Amino acid sequence: MSPQTDDVALSTTAERKVVVQSAGAQPDKDWVIVTRGLKREYDMGGEIVRALQGVDLAIRKNEYVAIMGPSGSGKSTLMNLIGCLDTPNGGEYWLSGQLVSTMKDDELARVRNKEIGFVFQTFNLLPRATALHNVELPLVYAGVGSAERKERAMEALTKVQLGDRAMHRPNELSGGQRQRVAIARALVNRPAILLADEPTGNLDSTTSEEIMRVFETLANTGQTVIMVTHEPDIAAHARRVVVLRDGKIASDERNQKVTSSLGL
Amino acid sequence: MGSLGGISLDQLRENVAIAFDALRVSKLRSGLTILGVVIGVSTVMTMATIVQGVRDQILNTIQAAGPTTFYVIKVFSTTPVNPDNPPKWIRIRPDLSAEEADRIAQLPQIGYAGIWAQIQLRLEYQGVRTQLISGFGADDRYQEMQGGELAEGRWFTKSEMRSGAPVVVIQEVQARRIFGRIDPIGKTIQAGGRPVQVVGLYQPPANIFAPPGQEVGAVMPYQFVLHGYHIDKTNALFICIKPKPGVTVADAMDAVTIEMRSIRKLRPADHDNFDLMSQDQILDTFTSITDIFFLVMLVLASVALMVGGIGVMAIMMVSVTARTREIGVRKALGATRRDILLQFLIEAATLTGIGGVLGIVVGLTAGRGVTALMNIEAKTPVGLTLLAVAVSVAIGLIFGVIPARRAARMDPVEALRYE
Ligand SMILES: Nc1ncnc2c1ncn2[C@@H]1O[C@H](COP(=O)(O)OP(=O)(O)O)[C@@H](O)[C@H]1O
Ligand SMILES: [Mg+2]
Repeated sequence: MSPQTDDVALSTTAERKVVVQSAGAQPDKDWVIVTRGLKREYDMGGEIVRALQGVDLAIRKNEYVAIMGPSGSGKSTLMNLIGCLDTPNGGEYWLSGQLVSTMKDDELARVRNKEIGFVFQTFNLLPRATALHNVELPLVYAGVGSAERKERAMEALTKVQLGDRAMHRPNELSGGQRQRVAIARALVNRPAILLADEPTGNLDSTTSEEIMRVFETLANTGQTVIMVTHEPDIAAHARRVVVLRDGKIASDERNQKVTSSLGL
Repeated sequence: MGSLGGISLDQLRENVAIAFDALRVSKLRSGLTILGVVIGVSTVMTMATIVQGVRDQILNTIQAAGPTTFYVIKVFSTTPVNPDNPPKWIRIRPDLSAEEADRIAQLPQIGYAGIWAQIQLRLEYQGVRTQLISGFGADDRYQEMQGGELAEGRWFTKSEMRSGAPVVVIQEVQARRIFGRIDPIGKTIQAGGRPVQVVGLYQPPANIFAPPGQEVGAVMPYQFVLHGYHIDKTNALFICIKPKPGVTVADAMDAVTIEMRSIRKLRPADHDNFDLMSQDQILDTFTSITDIFFLVMLVLASVALMVGGIGVMAIMMVSVTARTREIGVRKALGATRRDILLQFLIEAATLTGIGGVLGIVVGLTAGRGVTALMNIEAKTPVGLTLLAVAVSVAIGLIFGVIPARRAARMDPVEALRYE
């Protein structure tokens, strides 16, 4: 295998530069995420906190990206924007070729439902619902009928090896199993991107590895994955690492360790 | 999404399931919440069942007696007039007399007219007494006018009526009470302290309400009652009239009015010094009383429902806050404001709807209990039951709006961060 074929799932710095600089232009659909000068400020009673101060980020389909940086550097803020949970104060955000930075609440809800799968540090499963029902939720909001919903949710649970735990409630599952339910839920609507904010933050190292193997498989089968972490061990699984510092991108490089472990 | 226009069945089912789930988790809290609704609805349902039952009985009785029967009475009043001290305009009215009844009976429009008096008395035989019951001074046409049947013995003879003989036809049930297994016919009993001979046993129609009073326990010749007992001539003396077949009640009433005015020599400018009372009027009177009753109940029930509604609002507020994180998760997964709004509205409506159903069950049961005690048959007021469900659900929807809106407007990022 030549390095070029390995790079299929990795955009080059030069390619990204082109996309990011043509302000206002609709990027090609292959660019799942394009942000241009993205800003997010919080008004803390007169004092302005600049959480993101002009982030240019381009992520192409099938990339597996880790976002790192010290605490308070703006990782979560960026994730919330990318996940359409929040709207920026300035700049553009294009998701799968759609300009989402100007969208209103309910439009954003539909984009979240269709394009984004969230995996949270604290799992955020509904405690009283079964694993199956938790996985069904995005389909409920997509208006999918009950029978198809169950079928697809079951399929997603089977993919994360939890087919036999479908009727269990979260408190009957281990941390790793809960996170796998959350992953199944994130994927059930076949989203353009899987967003994970510190997905292993509440798990021990063995379980973390187990979750990372799930991500690895997903990435290998073409799922675009963006993951926030402050743990280098975890970031090491990604193909590309973006480092934030003080609300700006400090570096954005391919992951040497991963590329070398891929046998280059 | 299959919900743009209205709300899909699937969504409704999903949300009702969520509501039941939330209910299961906080049973006590939910119970307290719906108490107001339960009380409000059950009160109305109880009252409605009773009123409906009584009303049905009155209608039945009127049916039995023939809806054409009407009465001449000294004064028609919804509440009894104090006979010892009536207002002047009543005091100057003459008492009704048997002669007036006879004159009316001779009118070509009239099939029957007889003067009747109602009294309260106890029956006693060898030391065994009934409670205070209602008795009538009437004639042998009593049964024809009021329905029911003669179980044993006979009615009065013409001469007994004319002479005011001390004879009585008593109700079968009362007879059993004081005679037990002894055959009452021919026996002499004490009726209101006077010796009278039992000549017949009478089985009244199921529930007799007109003329107003309890079930009739004893019927005696009018002349005997007139001379043997104290009669409240203001409230309890009346001429019972039935038009001939083919004559309308209105025509018959006109004829009776003209005849009464002529008997009493009233001039055209004088007001009637008697009143007519038709079955329709009795029903109207009853209806106007029950309407007031209903109005009061409605006000009380509305207060209870308001309090219940405010309770629902408070609890839903608490519930929304407690489930902030859940709301954040749902939003992250694609729930729109409308989805969240619906979820909590349906939850509130489910809560109050359950309250309403409980209230209906309690109310119908209580209503049935009371009507059973009153010995009348109760029908379920179906329309009102449906209305009660609708109102309960509406209370939830109305008072759920503010908490549901709060939930719907939550910022997803902050909701997800909520501990
Ligand atoms: N809701 C908020 N209100 C005010 N300041 C905020 C809010 N969210 C984040 N911040 C500030 O923005 C900066 C970036 O925060 P965050 O994105 O959470 O960083 P990270 O996830 O990298 O730790 C921090 O200084 C933080 O205090
Ligand atoms: Mg963070």
